[in-house]
Amino acid sequence: MIEVLFFIAAAVALISAAMTVTAHNAVHGLLYLVVTMLAISLIFFLLGSPFAAALQVIVYAGAIMVLFIFVTMMLHQGEKSLLEEKQLFQISGSIGAFLLSAVLLVELVYVLAGFASPQLINGSEGYFTIQTITVKELGIQLYGPYQLLVVIAAMMLLSALISAIHIARRQKNPMQADEEGDQTL
Amino acid sequence: MSDFLGDITGDFIIPIVILVALLLAGAWSTWLERRILAWWQDRLGPNRVGPFGLLQVVADMIKIFTKEDWIPPFADKVLFVIAPMIVMIMMMLGFAIIPFAPGIQIAHFDNGLLFLLAISSLSVYSIMLAGFSSNSKYALLGAMRTAAQMLSYEVFMGLAIMGIVIVADSFSLSKIVEAQADMWFIIAQPLGFFLFLFAGIAESHRAPFDLPEAETEIVAGFHTEYASMKFGMFFIGEYLGVILISALITTLYFGGWQGPWLPPLLWFILKTSFFVLFFILLRAAIPRPRYDQLMAFGWYILLPLALLNLLVTAAWQLAPTL
Amino acid sequence: MPQEQPPQDSVENNHAEQLPELFALLSRDKYTVQKTADDTLTLWVTANTLLPTLSLLKSLRQPFAMLFDLFGVDERLRLDKNTLPCKDFTVVYQLLSVERNQHIRLKVALDKDDLHINSITDLWPNANWYERECWDLFGIVFDGHPTLRRILLPPTFKGHPLRKEFPCRATEKDPFTIDEQKLAKEQEALRFVPEDWGMATSSADNDYMFLNLGPNHPSVHGVFRVALQLDGERVVDSVPDIGYHHRGAEKIAERQTWHGFIPYTDRIDYLGGVMNNFPYVLALEQLAGIEVSDRVKCIRVMMSECFRILSHMLFFGTFAQDVGQLSPIFYLFVDREKLFGIIEAITGARMHPSWFRIGGVAQDLPKGWDKMMREFTDYFPKRLDEYEVMVMQNSILKKRSIGIGKYDTNQALDWGITGAGLRATGCDYDLRKKKPYSGYENYDFEVPLDDQGDAYARTRVRVEEMRQSIRIIRQCVDNMPQGPYKADHPSTTPPMNHQSKHDIETLIQHFLNVSWGTVMPKGETTFAVEATKGINSYTMISDGTGTSYRTRIRTPSFAHLQMIPPMAKGLMIADLITIIASIDFVMADVDR
Repeated sequence: MIEVLFFIAAAVALISAAMTVTAHNAVHGLLYLVVTMLAISLIFFLLGSPFAAALQVIVYAGAIMVLFIFVTMMLHQGEKSLLEEKQLFQISGSIGAFLLSAVLLVELVYVLAGFASPQLINGSEGYFTIQTITVKELGIQLYGPYQLLVVIAAMMLLSALISAIHIARRQKNPMQADEEGDQTL
Repeated sequence: MSDFLGDITGDFIIPIVILVALLLAGAWSTWLERRILAWWQDRLGPNRVGPFGLLQVVADMIKIFTKEDWIPPFADKVLFVIAPMIVMIMMMLGFAIIPFAPGIQIAHFDNGLLFLLAISSLSVYSIMLAGFSSNSKYALLGAMRTAAQMLSYEVFMGLAIMGIVIVADSFSLSKIVEAQADMWFIIAQPLGFFLFLFAGIAESHRAPFDLPEAETEIVAGFHTEYASMKFGMFFIGEYLGVILISALITTLYFGGWQGPWLPPLLWFILKTSFFVLFFILLRAAIPRPRYDQLMAFGWYILLPLALLNLLVTAAWQLAPTL
Repeated sequence: MPQEQPPQDSVENNHAEQLPELFALLSRDKYTVQKTADDTLTLWVTANTLLPTLSLLKSLRQPFAMLFDLFGVDERLRLDKNTLPCKDFTVVYQLLSVERNQHIRLKVALDKDDLHINSITDLWPNANWYERECWDLFGIVFDGHPTLRRILLPPTFKGHPLRKEFPCRATEKDPFTIDEQKLAKEQEALRFVPEDWGMATSSADNDYMFLNLGPNHPSVHGVFRVALQLDGERVVDSVPDIGYHHRGAEKIAERQTWHGFIPYTDRIDYLGGVMNNFPYVLALEQLAGIEVSDRVKCIRVMMSECFRILSHMLFFGTFAQDVGQLSPIFYLFVDREKLFGIIEAITGARMHPSWFRIGGVAQDLPKGWDKMMREFTDYFPKRLDEYEVMVMQNSILKKRSIGIGKYDTNQALDWGITGAGLRATGCDYDLRKKKPYSGYENYDFEVPLDDQGDAYARTRVRVEEMRQSIRIIRQCVDNMPQGPYKADHPSTTPPMNHQSKHDIETLIQHFLNVSWGTVMPKGETTFAVEATKGINSYTMISDGTGTSYRTRIRTPSFAHLQMIPPMAKGLMIADLITIIASIDFVMADVDR
């Protein structure tokens, strides 16, 4: 049962990833990316990490991608840009990307071949024994052995936050000048 | 044989009954809102079709189903059709983890709360896509407001819920309900409750936080171009959202199905209805803040309070171990 | 045109003493003083002296700060043309000085072959729309006007309808049809082109979005369009587009009898009811010299104050609703229903009673009117207190409206703002006190003021005005004088029954008066009243026939709407909605 679900999710992830690249409409492409995220989240879930699965949805699909789509929506897609996109996408220009992905694909097939063999799924031995990790265990791991990493990540996020605020601050914005001018009309 | 029957009931009949009941509740809560609002506003409300106007919903359904299913020629057709479906699906999925009563729950999910946050974060897409695919400026403005509002308030909602998780020591909703046998979490988490309430109103984009569809400003916001059943889905989706948030408030802060004398399911329905009525009362009573005021309220007031709540709760919980 | 020596008449002498600077300037060129029924100083000046005269008047120590009205007159068919220094067309400028509490009227005669005059948009920003209207309806070109294009009529319109040769009735022309091609053309003409209004489509950082707010939008109170230049949700600039509700009331006035036009006035400010009849009948009574009884005066004041309350109630409810508060409008509608019940009992109609008559009112008050009125005046103030708590003390509403759409007295005068919008800036100018008409001087009431000049202050002033109106109505009920409800004057239309059914003479008089209508003596007058939304005035020109030669309706909403762009600049869409709601206008009052 799990294998079937896994393969379906994997197929969805692969197809939508391909569609992400090939879609001419940027918003459509991003939506395929969201589907990829959801499929990956399902795979996380199937592999026994519901927490990672939930985070994948909440953070990537639910927040980051929303912002991506939001920005893309703002950049007003017209008929013209769609045509330009179509001309941009040519097989000859993407050989490098295809080659690199092919390497990944070979790798993936190799891994999957091992995964799909029955004795591994049954969980007797091998590298893919499915064992659910609870949030508690995850937390203990994060705040135990990996404490330093958490702190570093937190500091990076904080610095990112501060620089984001700095960039977003409206310095000498003409609109603001207007607003002040408006008080006197 | 009896096992098989049990499985059938557990796996199919209960979910189907719940889903049908929810759809009906969503539909009739439109009637309830219209009647109650009318009562509070010195009006009559729909009282012509059937006893007390109860069949108004049926009449509306007939109208909405037989209306021309119009898609604007300038719209992104596929997304335009998908958008209202997303909201319905997400709201229905959200109910899967709600423990209506002992044994009446579709999915016994250990990470129920995380699932819920995931669902609520995905439901943004319905509105964003509706706004984008309509290819109309009012819809776009609605989508802009939605993206900012819902993303922000999701943060506060998540942080408010974490207080509950700390107190109950679980992400599972049924365990959270059981943990409230002695004391409702509204007492342990009063601040968390208010934060969750505000975030819940904003997430279900109901008045006074109905900026994505503020009719006096941007006509109907994200669903300006929608008509017939696709509009109906947004409409029912909104009411399902209200019921979902009310059910969550009940489950997280008011002991869920727990209560004396009456059967648990009835307790749950009573408590949830109370909050649905509260949502309607809010709509009748309060004007709408401006978009930037709402965002400022969230980031300047709710966020520090939510963090404070989390900190204090964690400290309280850890204090005995020190 | 003979140059007149400094006027001999005592009134004009008086003016000359008050305005020595003006007459010193004018004496350098030709000018004529015209006597009008309203005793407003009316001067015919040449096109060359117009601009210096106007800028002088605006810069006096007690300036004529407000361009009260600006309109055209087609003089070509006027019967008493030879008694005036006019040519084919006249442009009339009426200025108001709040400090002096005085109007002044300047007239410039134009030849039909040279319909050009200098624009005064540099002096008064609100001249913009008035000049556009004048061009639209008369074809008079204002040189130097930044955007001289049609305002009330669609851009595709041919002709200038207030010219006398333009047919009054649609039946004088081919029936109106519209085919696909024409429809497409009209649609295209409505497209908003930012460049036409001198707007940039993008700034250094981003492209602007252009949004048509209206003509059908939930909170533009009728058919009104504001084209917005948006940076995100921030309004960079805006262009109000009016005219969707234009019905040519001023043209209609030229074909109806004096009496027959009364119902049309009701529909100018369609929330004002008989308040619209008020300036019209007062202007005509002034023209004809009709003196009405105290009872008529009192009834008129009472009914007008009722309609002031009705209009303010609707304003109050819709204001709350536009800010997002759903319920108050319903409570206020219930209360409006109660008051409409009284209006209906007295006049037989509800929103548009058309109940004032030239020289009186349509009927006497019915039995029991005072009881109904007393019940309402006891009931409503308590309700109003509750609404005030619910709306005005609501913190969200305060945050939404305090400081929004703010202007000061000088800006208000510059833009021609009157009524509550002016009084909210602290300027104490209420015609009921300053130029009492119909016996307002006998009533004890206050003029509510505020000094903030924002949306909240405008609302607060109007809420307070409702209380004062209740006070006036109470005094009317307590002191209603006895007397006839119509004046004993030949021009009173229709005449009282007891004067008409005696003998053949009185019957003929009645018959002709009703069928052909009464005849007004030659003359000109302007009568302004403090209407629900500001100062509403009717300028009547009669050349001694049964219909008006020119009826000019100066409505407050027209001036108020013009101020939206400077008020909304730099604010958000939601603020624009608050501003629009706080102006209190109806489109019929703007477009006429």
